[in-house]
Amino acid sequence: MAILLHWASALCVLVLIGLGLTMTHAALAPLRQFQLYQWHKSVGITVLVLTVLRVLWRLTHRPPPLPAGMPARERRAAAAAHHLLYLLLVGLPLTGWAVVSLSPFNIPTVLYGLVPWPHLPLAGFVPDPAAAEGILKRIHALGAWSLAALLAVHVAAALRHHLRLRDDVLRRMLPGRPLSPTPTVEPTR
Amino acid sequence: MSARHLGLLAALQVAALPAAAEWAVDPGKSAIRFSGVQVGVPFTGRFERFKAAADFDPAKPEAGHALVLIDLASARTGDVQRDQALPQKDWFDVKTAGEARFEATRFVDKGQGDYAAIGTLTIRGTSRPVTLPFHLTLDGGTAHATGRVGLVRTEFGVGQGAWASGQGVALDVGVEVDIVATAQPASGN
Repeated sequence: MAILLHWASALCVLVLIGLGLTMTHAALAPLRQFQLYQWHKSVGITVLVLTVLRVLWRLTHRPPPLPAGMPARERRAAAAAHHLLYLLLVGLPLTGWAVVSLSPFNIPTVLYGLVPWPHLPLAGFVPDPAAAEGILKRIHALGAWSLAALLAVHVAAALRHHLRLRDDVLRRMLPGRPLSPTPTVEPTR
Repeated sequence: MSARHLGLLAALQVAALPAAAEWAVDPGKSAIRFSGVQVGVPFTGRFERFKAAADFDPAKPEAGHALVLIDLASARTGDVQRDQALPQKDWFDVKTAGEARFEATRFVDKGQGDYAAIGTLTIRGTSRPVTLPFHLTLDGGTAHATGRVGLVRTEFGVGQGAWASGQGVALDVGVEVDIVATAQPASGN
């Protein structure tokens, strides 16, 4: 389950980065730009839901242990990076949701054109919605670039484990392997 | 509110009694549709609930009256997102003024079955003179009227704030009526 959630999130995040960059930087017809924003909203909320599920799963299931010989410094770095990833995977959808909720256009969110999704009830708490929207947009963009950078580090670290350290850190995240964290003991010959 | 309107309707009918004929609109066979352009793409919709009645004698159109009450919360365009936006305060603001009202105070015969209904349209508490041209076919006790009028939505406050410009949604909208009514036997009161 953790593996499935991880790769579903990964796919969504890549789609979100592509959509986010295109819809804000490309010269698009108004309709196309509008549609990309709606897709970005739908996929973003999907990541929020997936991440909540992942955190719940993580809190109730022990993840497989790190490789035995891993230095303490690297363990701390890995833990920090993973915490930051989770933080961004929750924080980015929330800030995006807040931007949508405070937008003067007040466009309803309908996930994938099918499921109505409410606005965050922020109107009553925010004295200046336009200013708040501007600030949140900046935070959202900054967070997105941070996530992209951290993602590069995450992928580089996984490849380092696989190609240089030759441990099973990457392989055990690939689908189609037994869910058991400890490899089955091979029968003695 | 609707009771008051019905009372008014009765009063209008009584006032126009001598020459006019009363018509009862068949909601099942009638439709009030609207059309607009969002991000460059035309869309159409319809009001699923409305009430209408007319006092209209083709021999004496200037003595006629008609009242149409449209439940703005019943606007449907086939797009969940748009249908969620329409009742909100930027658009129809149905919580404050849930009904659009067209009251025709006279009709003008344009010849060959063409008429104009001259009256006042009220949306969101804003009233403006509106002339609805329509074509009428009479078949025994049944009347069929089809007409179309172009409106500038912002003249009625439909599209507030960021929507007051025509950038996202065009200011020009169309309203089409397709009304089937049956002649009512003259009532004693």
